[in-house]
Amino acid sequence: MSPMPGGHSLDLACPPDDVTAVHRFLETVWDAEPTLSAEDRMALELALVELASNVIEHGADGHGVVCSLQLDVGPDSVRARLTDDGVPVEVDPAAATLPDALAESGRGLALVQMVVDDLRYERVADQNRWTVRRGRHPA
Amino acid sequence: MDIVVHEAAEDTAVLECSGRLNMVSAGAFRETVAKVVDGGRARLVVELSGVDFMDSSGLGALVGCLKTARQAGGDLRIAAPSEQVQMVLKLSNIDKILRTYPDGDAAVSTWG
Repeated sequence: MSPMPGGHSLDLACPPDDVTAVHRFLETVWDAEPTLSAEDRMALELALVELASNVIEHGADGHGVVCSLQLDVGPDSVRARLTDDGVPVEVDPAAATLPDALAESGRGLALVQMVVDDLRYERVADQNRWTVRRGRHPA
Repeated sequence: MDIVVHEAAEDTAVLECSGRLNMVSAGAFRETVAKVVDGGRARLVVELSGVDFMDSSGLGALVGCLKTARQAGGDLRIAAPSEQVQMVLKLSNIDKILRTYPDGDAAVSTWG
């Protein structure tokens, strides 16, 4: 846990860790940030679990992946950053759209786009970096 | 995630789910549905009131299971989605292909 007020962080090594660790981490963040509305919590949990799932599924390249999630709960917005040491990702998050209704995959990034105000992907040195920002909605 | 299978009729099963339907549990959910359909029950009601989190992996599993049920001559209905599940269903426009019922009994009893 970061000593900064509103700052929270989680390190993951997958495997053996999986998105269950992200859910549990977020439960501790919500306990520490009781003013965050239920709507904001639902949106952020969906966004961060979708991003972590993508990293674990696609970024690992069969060798496992190490990632770090940082969450900064500010008075007006919540910012999160997910970094991983996986292979580079060919993706334009701004272009993410929902697939055909009968598709069984490919909805993750489109859903993230819908519940955050800003979503970015960058390749920095040998790491992938996903950043999201969501303006806080009062309860 | 926990799944309890209720054999509601000769061709109908209600799957009472609780926990999280995500990439960790989606595979087990698909396997459970495949077994139920193989066992002769292709009309499926997936009761989701106890599912407090579902994501795109869970949605994909529901769509896959809908296809499994239809290929066997049945269908798949959703009952009693929690607030979080309702949000994801709405955002994904999945209500076009997956009908939602207020509870398991309503989903079963309206099957003609």
